[in-house]
Parts: sequence; C-alpha cells; structure tokens
Amino acid sequence: MISLTFVLVIAAGFIFLTLSRGRAISLAAGDLASLHSRPSYHGLHAFLWVVLVGITTLLILSVLGSSLITAALMGDIADALPDSQRIERQLILSDAMSLSRGTVASKDDALRQEVAVRFGTYEAIRVWGSVLISLGLAALIGMRSLSRTTLEFRARNSSEAIIRRLLLGCAIIAVLTTVGIVLSLIFETLVFFENLNWRIDKYLFGTRWSPLSGVSAGVMDPDRVGAVPLFAGTFLITIIAMLVAVPIGLLAAIYLSDFASKNVRAWAKPMLEILAGVPTVVYGFFAAITVAPFIRRTGEALGMNVASESALAAGVVMGIMIIPFISSLSDDVINAVPQSLRDGSYGLGATKAETIRQVVLPAALPGIVSAVLLGISRAVGETMIVVMAAGQGANLTLNPLEAVTTVTVQIVMLITGDTEASVAAGPAFTLGFTLFCITLGLNIYALRTVRKYRELYD
Amino acid sequence: MTNMRMVDEASKMQDVKIESRGVHVHYGTNEAIKGVDVDILDKTVTSFIGPSGCGKSTFLRCLNRMNDTIDSCRVTGKILMDGDDIYDRAVDPVQLRARVGMVFQKPNPFPKSIYDNVAYGPRIHGLVANKADLDDVVEQSLRRAALWTEAKDRLAEPGTGLSGGQQQRLCIARAIATAPQVLLMDEPCSALDPIATSQIEDLIDELRASFSVVIVTHSMQQAARVSQKTAFFHLGEIVEYGDTPKIFTNPEDQRTQDYITGRFG
Repeated sequence: MISLTFVLVIAAGFIFLTLSRGRAISLAAGDLASLHSRPSYHGLHAFLWVVLVGITTLLILSVLGSSLITAALMGDIADALPDSQRIERQLILSDAMSLSRGTVASKDDALRQEVAVRFGTYEAIRVWGSVLISLGLAALIGMRSLSRTTLEFRARNSSEAIIRRLLLGCAIIAVLTTVGIVLSLIFETLVFFENLNWRIDKYLFGTRWSPLSGVSAGVMDPDRVGAVPLFAGTFLITIIAMLVAVPIGLLAAIYLSDFASKNVRAWAKPMLEILAGVPTVVYGFFAAITVAPFIRRTGEALGMNVASESALAAGVVMGIMIIPFISSLSDDVINAVPQSLRDGSYGLGATKAETIRQVVLPAALPGIVSAVLLGISRAVGETMIVVMAAGQGANLTLNPLEAVTTVTVQIVMLITGDTEASVAAGPAFTLGFTLFCITLGLNIYALRTVRKYRELYD
Repeated sequence: MTNMRMVDEASKMQDVKIESRGVHVHYGTNEAIKGVDVDILDKTVTSFIGPSGCGKSTFLRCLNRMNDTIDSCRVTGKILMDGDDIYDRAVDPVQLRARVGMVFQKPNPFPKSIYDNVAYGPRIHGLVANKADLDDVVEQSLRRAALWTEAKDRLAEPGTGLSGGQQQRLCIARAIATAPQVLLMDEPCSALDPIATSQIEDLIDELRASFSVVIVTHSMQQAARVSQKTAFFHLGEIVEYGDTPKIFTNPEDQRTQDYITGRFG
C-alpha cells in the first residue's frame, strides 16, 4: 500500500504539472511573452512541490508510525507480563506481528493473539493514515501551486531554487556518508586501543598477528596484535603488482597512442578495457589455480623452495589486473598532449623515440603519475586475489616466494570468521582505519605532486 | 611562361636553395597542391600569400617532409634542395628536418625550461661536445631571436611561462639553435599582438643574412615588409611568383591584383 502511494504521489505530481502548465498557457492567451516564466516551469514548480511534500510526509508518517506502534505494544506487553525480560517481550511482539500477517510464529498463545489483533488495528491506522494524509497534503500543495500560477509568478526562479536545494541535499548526503564512515572507523579504533590498554605501539610495531587467539574477557593480548606482517605483505604484493603493471601498461599506452595504426588501436583499446571488466574473483582463482602452481613448479625446477601460495603469484596476477587502468588512463593523457608539441619536436629533426621520451612523456607526466597512484590504491585495496593466491598466515617476510597475507585479507578473515562480531570488529576496523590513513596520505601526496607539475607545465 | 622565365633569370643572380618541380599533394582523394614549380633562393625571405585553403601551408610542410607524419598525405613531383631530391628514398626525413627548421603558427614551447627548449635540438643532434659549448649555443640562439635580455635571468623557468610573443621568439631560437639552412615559418605572427609581430619581423630580416627563410602569411603588409620574393597561391597552384615590390605594385595576373587589393580572399 505504502509503495503504491509513492506511485500515486508521483502521478498526482504529473496531474498538477499538466494542470499548472495548462493554466499558464490559458492565462497567457496566446501571448507567451506575457508570462514571467514559460508554462513548463509552472508545471515543473507544481510537480516538485507535490512530489516532495507527498513523499516526505509519507516517509515521515510511516517510519514514525512504526516506532510509535512498537513502543505502544511493548508497553502493553510489559503491563501484561511485568517481570519479563526485554528480549522476551521483543520475541512476543515479533510473534504477534507474524500472526497478524499470517506467517509462522514461534509460539501461539492468548497474549500473542491479543497483541496481534491490536497490532493489526494500529498497523491499518498507520498505513491508511499515512497514505491519506500524504496524498491529501500533496493535493493541497498542488492546489496552492495551481492557484499561484499567474502571469507574474516567478515559477522558474522558484523551481530552480528547489532544484538547487535538492542538489545540495545530494552533495550533503555524499559528504555525510564519508564523515560517518570515518567517524565510525575512528570510534571503533579507539575502542580497540582501549581493549589493548592503549598499547598502540604494540599494534603499530609488533610482528605477531593473531588477535583472536589471546582474547580474555574482551581484553586482547597486546603481544598478538602486531600489524607489521600485514602491512609488510600488502607492501610486498603492491610492489610486485606495480613492477608488472607500470612498465607493461605504460609501454602499451605509448604503443597505442603513438605507434599503433588506427585499425590496431580500434580493436586493441577495447580489448584492454575488457580486461578491466573481468571480476577480480576470476583473477583470484586464475592466480590460485594456474599461476601459483606454475611458479611453484618453475621454482622447484630451479631448485628453489617455493610455497604453494606465494606473494609472487598474487602480485603478478594483480599487476595484470591493473594493467588496463594504467594503460587506458596513460593512453588518454598521452593522446591529450597537443599535436603541436609533437610537430615542434619533429620539426627540429627529432625522431619519434626522442619526441616521445623528451616531449610527450614529460608533458603527460602528471596524468601518468595519477594513473600509477590509482593503480597503487587498487593494489592496496584488492582482496580476492590475495585471499586465494597469497595465503592467510601472517608471515613477516620480504621473500616473494613465500606465503604472505595482507591487511584486506585479514579484515575478511576477521569479519567472516566464527568469532563474535563485537570482538572481531575491533581489529578489523582498526586495520581498515590504518589502511584508510595510508591511502589518504598517498592520495594527498599524489595530488600535491601532480599540482606541482601542472603549475610548471601549463 | 613569362613567369617561368622570370624565375630563371632571378635564379641566375642568386643561389637557388630549393627547387620544386611539378609537386602535387593529395590528402586521400583530395588534391591540395596541383603542380607547383618554384625556386627558393638562399639568403632571401620568400613569402607565400593567398586565401585560406589555397595550399600554401601544405606546400611549406612539403619542404621539410612534415606531411610524412600525416597518414593520408601523398606527395609526388620533385623537390630538390641543393640539387638533391629530398623525397629520395635515401633521404632520412629526420636528418632533413635538422637542416630545414620550422616555426609554427601557434607558439609551441616544450614543457621544459627555457634553456632546455633551446638546447633540445643541439642535444638530440649531438651538435655540441660539452656543457660550455651548449651554454654558448643557447645564448647565441636566444640573442639572435632577440630574447636573451628578457630570458637570461630566467633560463631555468618553464618556457610555457613566457608571453605569447616571447614564446614564439623562443620557438625561433629553438629552431635556429639546430643550425638549419632553411627556416620555414607557418604564419608565425598570427597569434601575436602588433608589438610582438614587429619584433618577429625585425628578427626575420636579420635571419636572412644566414638562412633562406620561407614564411607563410595572411598579412599582405607583412609579406611586403619582410620578404624579397613573394609567391601568390590560389587553389593549389602558384599564380604568380616574383620580386615582392613587383607583385604588390604591378602584378601580372588579374587574380593576384584582385587578392592584394582585397577584392577576394
């Protein structure tokens, strides 16, 4: 019923749109220039008011109604069973709701039946009340807009003001979400550090990571939460990935932009972009099933001791995943270097190679740097490939042939493990927050570098 | 044919640097240049004038094979520089362009320091043995481009930070640093204000002592001021070629007359 009302409100909006526009047209009596705002703005103004007022009322009434009903029924149950626990009352209430809706309840008794009946009544009042009130208000507002449709009415300015506020609202939602996420990260991190008795140094510099094995009464063993192996693993895999992705991606971009013929470019560039569309989980099992065993066999053939899950396998496959990001973005910036610069260089007798190395690449450098940094962010945040191909053991090593683990993998392990969420969330949020700080620092540094170059070269 | 005879007489008096015989240029199926014969003299400023789309820039770009960088472009006919065909298979366009410098319509300094801009050509061609020589070449080129006094204290600053006129003079300095024999200029002043234009024109007049300069221009006053020889292009052909004063005061062809008096173009 409620969702149908959304549709009805929007339909009402369209009706008033048509009415207001028609009224504006008839008021103008053939001379549209006598209207301050064109008829479509009168229509838009009515539509915006009707839809905004209708939907806001509907949302507020139905949400508010729900909590009012819950509160009232909980009170009733408390009166009936004065010495019950809160959780019991909630169970009774949810059973009653199920009974009222005709679905299966855990238990059926007189109290539940009674509450169910009352719930049914309240619910009907809530639904019909919010539907009728919001539709009514929408109609009232629509009538007001209709009556405001006059020759002088500045419908364009009014509707633009409404739209500007809508845009502002969307921007605020995006910003507030970010702020909320950061705040919750900070909060959970502080709780975690409190559980460590503020031994932050143990977290930042400790080398042993198995946070859940030393939990007693919610207090963690500070000697088992050293995050260094995780960050070392992340660092190692990121380096391997970038060693693969940057040279290949950049050289591919140079080939595509300055050497490839139109035909080659026409199919090669989309192919590269398809590579970017492969889900990371596919790369993950490719790494685990094909690349890791291959590396192990090759290593064994060369007489080296290679773990079956290795940082090298994960890093190489991650590098392949990142190639299209680097090549596609670099190709765009290299193409954006004006032809006049290339002509200038050719005109001085430079070869193609000299022109690319000494003119095109320096001019495209800010864009290339940001492409590489975007690739690094991807590598740092990548999870699936590492889960499957690099292992889970927190192992402090810089040897790419051994199994390592990364920050993101450990977060996955903590959250999907069978430990109680409230305990596991602490280290997970803290790792997330640390990772966030690192990527933020990286991005700020990158933006600064890019801006410095841009000032130099623009 | 009177034109041709005049060309020949003129050529006897001064050395011919570039000879063009029956040059046709096609972009795809579109014929942009329809048989151009012209003798460009050494130590002389030659200007190409004509309405937009008449092929003067296209022809200019044939002289250092810049058209090679455009895929659909095809050049036929003969262009001889000092008697050698520059479209011969044995000729490397890269080496040719080191001898035939080019300055473009829009100033296009590289995103490098002023010093590195000028040093670019000498460096890639290995014209200098050491840093002191390079400093010397940079200074001489900037002096000849009349930019030294303005730029000497900011050699390390980016060339893109200069004003438009200074940028164009930097591009000229960059071109002459490579020690070319011919300097091609494609409307070098069209993006500049009158003061910068007059500085560049003075510069062109001085450069004549050392190079053969070919300049494409839309300004007939400019052609009259800076050049000794003028070629009038129309619809992919040279309608008239001769001494600048004669072209501007007593043209032989009615179309030249109409163009320079502003009746079309």
